[in-house]
Amino acid sequence: MTQREKDFPALLERLRPECERIIAQYEQKRSALLPMMHLFQQNEGFVSQDAMQAAAEMLDLTPAEVESTVSFYTLLYRRPVGKYVLQVCRGLPCTINGAEDIMAYFREKLGIGHLQTTGDGLFSYEEVECLAACDRATCMEVNLEFAYDLTPAKIDEMLAAMRAGTYPVAPMPQTAAPASTWAVPQDGQVGDGKKAPGAVGVESPDNAGGVGDASGLIMLDNIINRDVYFFHRTQERAVVESRSVAELVEEEAKEGDRAGH
Amino acid sequence: MPVTKVLTDGIGEADLRDIGVYRARGGYQQWERAVRDLKPLDILDAAEKSGLRGRGGAAFPTGRKWSFLPSDRYPRYLVCNCDEAEPGTFKDHMLLEETPHLVLEGMLLGAYAIASHHAFIYIRGEFKRGYEVFCAALEQARQAGYLGTNILGSSYDLEVTVHRGAGAYICGEETALLNSLEGRRGEPRLKPPFPAVEGLYRKPTIVNNVETLAYLVPILQRGPEWFASAGTERSKGYKIVSVSGHVQRPGNYEMALGTSVREIIEIAGGLRPGRTLTAIQPGGGSSACIFEDDLDLPYDYESMAKAGSMLGSGAFLVFDDTTDFVNAAYNLVRFFAHESCGQCTPCREGGQWMERVLERLVHHRGIPGDYEMLMRVSGAITGLNLCPLGDSIEPFLKSVMVRFPEAFKSRIAAVGAPA
Repeated sequence: MTQREKDFPALLERLRPECERIIAQYEQKRSALLPMMHLFQQNEGFVSQDAMQAAAEMLDLTPAEVESTVSFYTLLYRRPVGKYVLQVCRGLPCTINGAEDIMAYFREKLGIGHLQTTGDGLFSYEEVECLAACDRATCMEVNLEFAYDLTPAKIDEMLAAMRAGTYPVAPMPQTAAPASTWAVPQDGQVGDGKKAPGAVGVESPDNAGGVGDASGLIMLDNIINRDVYFFHRTQERAVVESRSVAELVEEEAKEGDRAGH
Repeated sequence: MPVTKVLTDGIGEADLRDIGVYRARGGYQQWERAVRDLKPLDILDAAEKSGLRGRGGAAFPTGRKWSFLPSDRYPRYLVCNCDEAEPGTFKDHMLLEETPHLVLEGMLLGAYAIASHHAFIYIRGEFKRGYEVFCAALEQARQAGYLGTNILGSSYDLEVTVHRGAGAYICGEETALLNSLEGRRGEPRLKPPFPAVEGLYRKPTIVNNVETLAYLVPILQRGPEWFASAGTERSKGYKIVSVSGHVQRPGNYEMALGTSVREIIEIAGGLRPGRTLTAIQPGGGSSACIFEDDLDLPYDYESMAKAGSMLGSGAFLVFDDTTDFVNAAYNLVRFFAHESCGQCTPCREGGQWMERVLERLVHHRGIPGDYEMLMRVSGAITGLNLCPLGDSIEPFLKSVMVRFPEAFKSRIAAVGAPA
């Protein structure tokens, strides 16, 4: 049993009155689910299985109903994240004002990519959709607090302040060590943060048979027993470049290693 | 026609988050008047006479939306939609953070107009600061006796609940928002029944945008005739336009509807020196582009529709000649593919397919036939989904593909060619 798991019963008792106050605001209990999950995440740094179980019991839901709902929302993290969650806007207004360079700068400085957490557990990095601050592009949020008008110099300053613990936004509580990503439910699964389409890697919707689906890639990934990394349209590349999928998987795994795994 | 500050009046000059400051500028007078002297129907009449239309994007006449409520079914709910996430829109974010009491007073008036005793505001999860600002304003208003039971000595009771979203663009669609507010996945519902008949907890519910509700305050203060006298024949009143992109002074500018497109660009400081205009996306990520021939069009609902686009939420994105429209199309299609809730096959599959086709075009690895396929697939998605998200993929993409075909076709490589 981890320390977090040991501490959970006491946390639950501490938060129970607040949960009951939230539940009382609504005509139907289930409405309290998202606010309660926000509350637990504020305290544990992520939405733990224990928190979902507790919510299910308080709201008379099945654990499956809770997890199905929680998994719909990108701001509820079902696995631990870094102390600073850096969410950089990739919306169109930011993009035409240089967001791609800003994102490249972050990736280089942090040594990680989209939906990844640094090895020291300090930073989680995500490229997110329009944050509704387009007049001050390029923009981002750090633990949901805005930062505007980004430049490389400003980013250097921000990251240095976070490393020194002087950045004026509270770090996420960290009750468990983060893995390399929070975007897939378990280690060993391939994920690029996108919802699974029906058929992956087929070069044309006119050719529904194609060269197979993502399960083959997941299997290959398990065979070579890599840590989580991100395929870049491998099967599509295979079609376009007339090369074998296996060869490209090897190559991309090596690129993944270089990216810090 | 210059900028006219109505909702934005005082922002940046006074701390409108303080209830004392807000009241000193006339705040909450309309709410006091409503509970003491007005009947709900008076507010409905004022909304109808003013010509106010929904400012969230659909532009449905507000008074008429309210009139769809069945007369004999209670309780009724009012939900203020502050899940602003349409690419390029940033007005509700500003109103929430800068003038929360105005937003609240608009909600109180809207709830009173439909005889609701429980109003909700659904705030986008990313607006954590706005959520905190609004909660503080709500507490001040509660202390002042503006909500609760027997408000200001009247027999009227009204409670307001603040609800935070958790990251999902689709929850801005009103039925998805209601599902999310009920603690479910934010998946849109089949309509009809419309929320006015069966909404939150299957009770009659009105969902109005932040800006729409906020305009109730000046409409009651200055009279519906004042509001209706601004704007055009069918697009009456004022609107906050969120101007962004390649202009020198991006920002929220409030103006009468019908201001010309050219003037809006000038208000926002014009283009950067030495640059030329290539396109404008006048109504958020879901809208088709308009071009330089359209510069003298009035910016109103009808003119934008006539030009093949829409005014939407008033997000006005300006592109100059540095824009790569293939990348821009990829960006927006990826956005919609990412935000599809996945219920409807055309939107879920179509969006993902087009994203991948556009991604290879961005990388100059297009396959012969990609241009035609994109046109065909985007057209095949439209009109076949429960909600407008799937239908929102086509307009921008098609408008720039038709206008700049060579930009797309030049990215097609021969199969097997080196990347």
